[in-house]
Amino acid sequence: MAAAVGMARSSLAKIETGARGVTALELVAIARELRRRVEWFVEPGPPSIVSYRASRSGVATQVIDDELDRLARDVEFVVAEVPELVDGQPGQQPLPTSMAAADVLAAKARSLLKLSAREPVLELSRLVTSIGLLPFALPLGEGADAGTVLLRVGGVSVVNGDLRVGRRRLALAHELGHYLIADPYTTDWRVASTEADALEARLDRFARALLLPEADLRERWAQWSAGGDEALRDVAVRAGSHYQVDMATLARRLGELELVDGRQVNEIRGVRTKKADIVEKNLVVPRELEPISLPRTYEQAVLRLYRGETVTADRALGLLLGTFDEESLPDRPEAPESEIWAVTS
Amino acid sequence: MIPDVVEAELRTGAVQNDHLRAVLDADWIEVIPLDTPEHLSAFAYYEQRLVGADGRNVGECGVLALAETMAHAVAVVDDRVAGNAARGRNVEVRRTLGLLCDAIREGLLTVPLVSALADDLMRDSYRLPFGPGGFARWADENGLT
Repeated sequence: MAAAVGMARSSLAKIETGARGVTALELVAIARELRRRVEWFVEPGPPSIVSYRASRSGVATQVIDDELDRLARDVEFVVAEVPELVDGQPGQQPLPTSMAAADVLAAKARSLLKLSAREPVLELSRLVTSIGLLPFALPLGEGADAGTVLLRVGGVSVVNGDLRVGRRRLALAHELGHYLIADPYTTDWRVASTEADALEARLDRFARALLLPEADLRERWAQWSAGGDEALRDVAVRAGSHYQVDMATLARRLGELELVDGRQVNEIRGVRTKKADIVEKNLVVPRELEPISLPRTYEQAVLRLYRGETVTADRALGLLLGTFDEESLPDRPEAPESEIWAVTS
Repeated sequence: MIPDVVEAELRTGAVQNDHLRAVLDADWIEVIPLDTPEHLSAFAYYEQRLVGADGRNVGECGVLALAETMAHAVAVVDDRVAGNAARGRNVEVRRTLGLLCDAIREGLLTVPLVSALADDLMRDSYRLPFGPGGFARWADENGLT
């Protein structure tokens, strides 16, 4: 590290122990080497991150922790300049203490998202921004499925974009649960497989109930199955596409609502949607939360800051996580002639 | 005065642009390290607005951070975003052209020279509120000559 930033090892050690201060010049070099912003060393960041870090001192941070930290800071900065980006945050909902309570929370979420009891949740990632949760999809490979951090107002979720689309949506639905019960900081490694943790299992149930509303699913499943000319797999493909969920989630939900038996649960879990299904059944392939994706409202706020000359092009591109290049930024207006006095005085 | 980060930018630049060495060698320019918590905090504030992944504009952040933590200091920065960032902070900002106008008034520089310089600045994508040759015209109309 010392060699990389052109310092004596002893100087770096002294900076680390606090025996000597650090100059901006040194900090810029250290930050560049560690791929951080200087801000990260100087400003504590959102309180939820500060207390999370304090509670886990000595534990190695994971990629998702770094991404949440970076995004929480970026979003807080943008929100401070464009407050309408986060319009408010719903009041804290009670922790679900049973599966039935998880269903109640899902119904509450539907009403907050202004969804009728029977609508499939299309564009979940857009809907949640209306209640102050900003979801980002980043490629996290084998890392966590998702994570959420509460801001002073609103929250930020990161979803692992390397999951398949159904799993990405399920993960975001699960994160919405954390957000509604106002969990300050959470990372989820394997959504829908944490039976040991009662709360996580209930939030998985919440996610399924949100994406696959019981009354609607019962009715449609009966209708789709009634035709009789389609095999179970075809009905499942139809249902999965209608609600935009993966087969494991659908199977699980059908099982818990006792719409199918154990053998059928296993069969549905093994179903793969084929290209032929998409053509023959005329299905729409959802692309939600493809990495790298940012909330549209956030992108709009950043572009506004760029247009209004609150941030430089470099900074705007950074806030947009490299999804734009300089050419794709809007043109800034010519400097008004009246400004000549400001320039020359 | 220049902050340490500007000196570093000049040193990097001087490898390719030898004339920058004149600034580094000037004995009337003092280099100030930004090393107090106030410096670093102000630096981070400007970094949030000006600096992206490629690390450009660190110099502007340093100048503004230094000026706002010193009494009676004036920050000279030309970037409009940098000027906007300083608004509402306790720092006076001037642009290079303002200093050049002072120099014209004091008879140190001529209008044609500064006008040519302003045109050069524009070529380097400085956005100025007039076109090529516009400075001379404005100076004429406003009695700077």
